[in-house]
Amino acid sequence: MAGSRLEKFGTVFTRVRDLMRAGVIKHEHKPIWFDVYAAFPPKREPLFEKHLRKVRKQTEDSVPEIFYKEDEIRAKFFEVYGNGPRAFELLKSNFVSPCQRFVMKYSELESRGDVKPEALFEETAKALLAEGVLLRKRGGPAQMATESRDPLLNMKLTEMLADQQRDTETETDVSEKRPQEADSTDSQSSSKI
Amino acid sequence: MAAGILTRVSQALRGPRLVGAVLSGHGHTLSTAAAAAKPPAAPIDDTGETKILNFPLTQPDFFRLSELYTIKDLFEARVHLGHKKGCRHRLMEPYLFGSRLDVDILDLDQTAEHLQRALNFTAHVAYRGGIILFISRRRQFGHLVETTARECGEYAHTRYWQGGLLTNAPVQYSPGVRLPDLIIFLSTLNNVFQPHVGIRDAAKMNIPTIGVVDSNCNPSLITYPVPGNDDTPATMEMYCRLFKMTINRAKDKRRQMELLRGISASV
Repeated sequence: MAGSRLEKFGTVFTRVRDLMRAGVIKHEHKPIWFDVYAAFPPKREPLFEKHLRKVRKQTEDSVPEIFYKEDEIRAKFFEVYGNGPRAFELLKSNFVSPCQRFVMKYSELESRGDVKPEALFEETAKALLAEGVLLRKRGGPAQMATESRDPLLNMKLTEMLADQQRDTETETDVSEKRPQEADSTDSQSSSKI
Repeated sequence: MAAGILTRVSQALRGPRLVGAVLSGHGHTLSTAAAAAKPPAAPIDDTGETKILNFPLTQPDFFRLSELYTIKDLFEARVHLGHKKGCRHRLMEPYLFGSRLDVDILDLDQTAEHLQRALNFTAHVAYRGGIILFISRRRQFGHLVETTARECGEYAHTRYWQGGLLTNAPVQYSPGVRLPDLIIFLSTLNNVFQPHVGIRDAAKMNIPTIGVVDSNCNPSLITYPVPGNDDTPATMEMYCRLFKMTINRAKDKRRQMELLRGISASV
């Protein structure tokens, strides 16, 4: 069947139309898609365009950067608190991250208007602490929650081993006097380890 | 009456009154000339066949494809996510909504409109019994594309594209082989991030193409581009589902119209 293989001139439609007009393609051999294209043309004519090197200035205008007003709050949050205590669960579409909660609380306090703008950041952090979200400042110790830490967590293994060493040393000195106590402390410490 | 307008338009397209060069670079002359030229209306042949073929072209959404998806569905399938700013193709800039922290975001309003036109075109071609070829050189989705093609009774090519598949078909296959009437690219790039050879070959063989163009693709040669993400599995599944439903709907509608014509003819 006759055709025109010049893909850089005109569109598929114009070439077929002109070939039919010239009589090269007979009406019986009209392509199936021809009438459909004529009735529903595309939004842009599929003309071949060369990919020239882009001009810097134009691109900056045509594709704007997307920024929101809340991005300022988010920037400050990430600068102070790092990545945040919880990882982002991207599979959940209704997931609210600690950063997002911070932003929502911040805007809520701002709209209420009773807090000074300078103190707004601290107030939001305190409000979130009250709700139970633990925020750790970057490079600093964690802010203490209202309930006290379990004393068990404060035990460090190295300290316990050092204590045990000292206990065994005192044992050798005082083993005749108090053998039972030494045994009991040993067993206790070993069970905890 | 609608059929009459259509035959008059097609007469104008074929008539000798069009001014302009044979291989004009701009299609604007076509639309204005067609509107201006008014040759006498050809006698409308009232056989059922032409009615079946021409009537759907008069309706803007004959197959009711706008109810297959919403912009929210596109968003949840992550169609709007493009590549990074450095990978951006110059010709995709009109389709971008903006860039969020250097990631290009495609404009879903435009995507929805382009998708509507593409699906409509597919449906009409399938309605008229055209051959549709799905092409995707993404190995992650090769199986998905092949099963989609099988389920709607069309064809797929997800392997290495040999040079003369379309341009040298009579030699590579057999002399009387019928080429596809529509090619759907579910990803317009090949495995080395260059435009797929099939786009250029389809344009050479005067075959219209539909293509999902991501922010690093060249949409200029594709007849009905659909700006959208082509990397996420959720997105590809959505596209495959939409095309499959469109083609099946169109074929069912054709069978229904044939049956109706058979019933009305016998009555």
